[in-house]
Amino acid sequence: MFTTGSKYCFGIAGLGSLGAVVYMVLVHPCDVGVLALLGIAIAMSLVGGVAQFTGDFDVDSPNDALTANAVAPANSMWPLVLALGVVLLLVGMTTDPIIFILGIVIIIAAGVEWALQSWAERASSDSAFNRFVRERALTSLELPIFVGGGVAIIAVAFSRIMLAVSPHSGAILFIVIATAVLIVGFLVSVKTNIKKSMIAATCVLGAVVLLVSGGIAGFNGNREELVVAAAEDHYSHKECEAAASEHFDKNSNNAVSMKSGISATIRVKDGKLTAQLIGIDAQVQAVTVQRSNLTTILFRNLDDAQYRLVANLGTKKIADTGVEEAIVDCTQMTGKNQTQALILKISKPSASSGPYTLTVPGLEGQEIAVVVP
Amino acid sequence: MPLRRIGLGLAASSAIFLAGCARNAPQDTWQPKGENAEKINTLQWMVFPLAGIVGVAVFALIAYILWRFRDRGQAIPHQSHGNPAVEITLTIIPALILSVVGVFTFKGIFELAQTNDTQMVINVTGQQWWWEYDYPAQVVNGVEITQPIITSGQLVIPTGTKVLLRETSRDVIHSYWIPALNGKKDAVPGRINLLRIQANKPGIFAGQCTEFCGLSHANMRMEAVALGPEDFAAWIANQQRNAESPAQATLAQEGEAVFLNQCIRCHQVNGLKKADGTAAIAAPDENVYSGAVPNLTHLMSRNTFAGAKFDLLTADCRKNVWSASPDEFGSAYLKGVTSDCLNQTNLRGWLRNAPAMKPMYADPTKLAVSDGKYRGMPNLGLSESDIDKLVAYLSTLK
Repeated sequence: MFTTGSKYCFGIAGLGSLGAVVYMVLVHPCDVGVLALLGIAIAMSLVGGVAQFTGDFDVDSPNDALTANAVAPANSMWPLVLALGVVLLLVGMTTDPIIFILGIVIIIAAGVEWALQSWAERASSDSAFNRFVRERALTSLELPIFVGGGVAIIAVAFSRIMLAVSPHSGAILFIVIATAVLIVGFLVSVKTNIKKSMIAATCVLGAVVLLVSGGIAGFNGNREELVVAAAEDHYSHKECEAAASEHFDKNSNNAVSMKSGISATIRVKDGKLTAQLIGIDAQVQAVTVQRSNLTTILFRNLDDAQYRLVANLGTKKIADTGVEEAIVDCTQMTGKNQTQALILKISKPSASSGPYTLTVPGLEGQEIAVVVP
Repeated sequence: MPLRRIGLGLAASSAIFLAGCARNAPQDTWQPKGENAEKINTLQWMVFPLAGIVGVAVFALIAYILWRFRDRGQAIPHQSHGNPAVEITLTIIPALILSVVGVFTFKGIFELAQTNDTQMVINVTGQQWWWEYDYPAQVVNGVEITQPIITSGQLVIPTGTKVLLRETSRDVIHSYWIPALNGKKDAVPGRINLLRIQANKPGIFAGQCTEFCGLSHANMRMEAVALGPEDFAAWIANQQRNAESPAQATLAQEGEAVFLNQCIRCHQVNGLKKADGTAAIAAPDENVYSGAVPNLTHLMSRNTFAGAKFDLLTADCRKNVWSASPDEFGSAYLKGVTSDCLNQTNLRGWLRNAPAMKPMYADPTKLAVSDGKYRGMPNLGLSESDIDKLVAYLSTLK
């Protein structure tokens, strides 16, 4: 009664409808997910109806289709692996991007393996030849992937160990491991009568020790000094003086490519400070910044001397102390014909603790007002 | 095919077709009221009929082929591949049509993107689910805006003026669209997108956010109000005034106290002072995810609230404004919301339980994903007495 293609479509439509009902009961009857699932059901019903009406668009009768040979296909684990990949993909969508990516990798790998296995099984009526065909096609893919993966695992495990131990211990450890590898390699090359099983057991033992040690080191985390360094914010207290700062101005990137997101451009030319708003040709002396909104201001220096743009954004009380602290933000030092971006998010209106201004240290007596309505 | 089925099909098609002929359609894209919208209208009058003819022809052909060659158990006909003459013809004809359309489309795009003759600038900021407008200090047609003006819901512009909207967003992507004045333009966080509008005559024009932006996307509306030069100057002058405290020993003064106790946490009223005489500054950044809520200094000068979803005017008064002739529109609009025109039902309902009127993420128990901050106005649990006082106070914010 139903054609092959329409069964597939109607099946998905049925699952979509069932999923929508379950979603309505378990999550929310009026959620977007219900609409999405019902949309799938309706779309697949439509496609299934067309497929049924047109006989699956096939010019060949299903009865005319011939199988390549009469050899029954072998059991395959790849559908199972592919299903696992789909599960990881779906779980990853709602939990962790790494699981999502792992799902994609497994789906692609299982799909390739399954497709090539299926293809090889239909190559001839000789099972042995079919296996040969399969190995010839897949070994060239599998070998580099397995070797690459193995090297990556060893590198990650070793790096975890080196990040966990102190630099001094790391150096000693590195020397010990390198010496052990050298000795083992030397013995293998000199003692040609060593049993292969002995060599394999040594390699496996080394790999297990490395992986276990790497795993333990990974769980324990990096050594203290690295944890402290990672937590430090080198830009929390910017050095906004007229003179160049050894730390803050180091390796400054004086090229900005975010022109379309810029709210205003502040220029220094011939020692004068001017402002221009995007979309307005005239120069202005006040820049309006929307409250609680990320606003990018471009600073362009056209003079020979180096300057930086400083935003003076009122004061705030340091918690529980009553001490007022100036809120200041600034760009790095900017050379001639170079640009820097200053991104501001001001949550209080300028009427509260203003006035807010943009100034350039070294150009005294000049400022651009920042108005936050 | 039975005649009855054909008749039913024609009746259904006619009903769908005629549904596009509604008289009261303020967001009709075929009724431009300004230069920019007229450019789009000219283009769509050229493209739409052409595309319509092609579309109808293609769908009719598909329907005919589906019906004529459906599977009836007949033998498979002879299969052939390719017909160079047909393929070349069916490639050249669309290419020619698209080339002609492309020339006019690109011309229109470049004309609409022009900003070097801007006469006025307004910053437009979208957030869930309302639009904020702030007018930087500038001189517009001889009228000086000395202090930035901030308002919401209704965008007020002068007629015959090329107004540049600088759009951005505080949270998710929104899209600004007033069909009578121009096409739509996305408001994207961290970016400034430009959209120019111009209105030929005084009037009020409806719009709607056209980028799905969450729970109350459908309730994120906007209105553009075009005023003649003198009326616009009067509006500017009024907007630059601070709010004045209500008279002593009045219900409105009690409402001001309620406002200072409750609403000032998020809503700013310029000029409002605390009991100690210092300026009352709202802190929406501490309570609302987007960090901003509508400034209410001149609430009653606009006709809507809550993202232009609800009218502050009663139905009759609203009709008077919307149907006013261009000559009378300015004075009708500048009256604002008078006591006899205030839509008490909407305003009281909102103060009583805002989330019940407009879906918002305002459940205090479900704010973990937004750092404990609301997305929309919560139910403040005000007493009926407090609501009376607040309505009296808000009515003074002209």
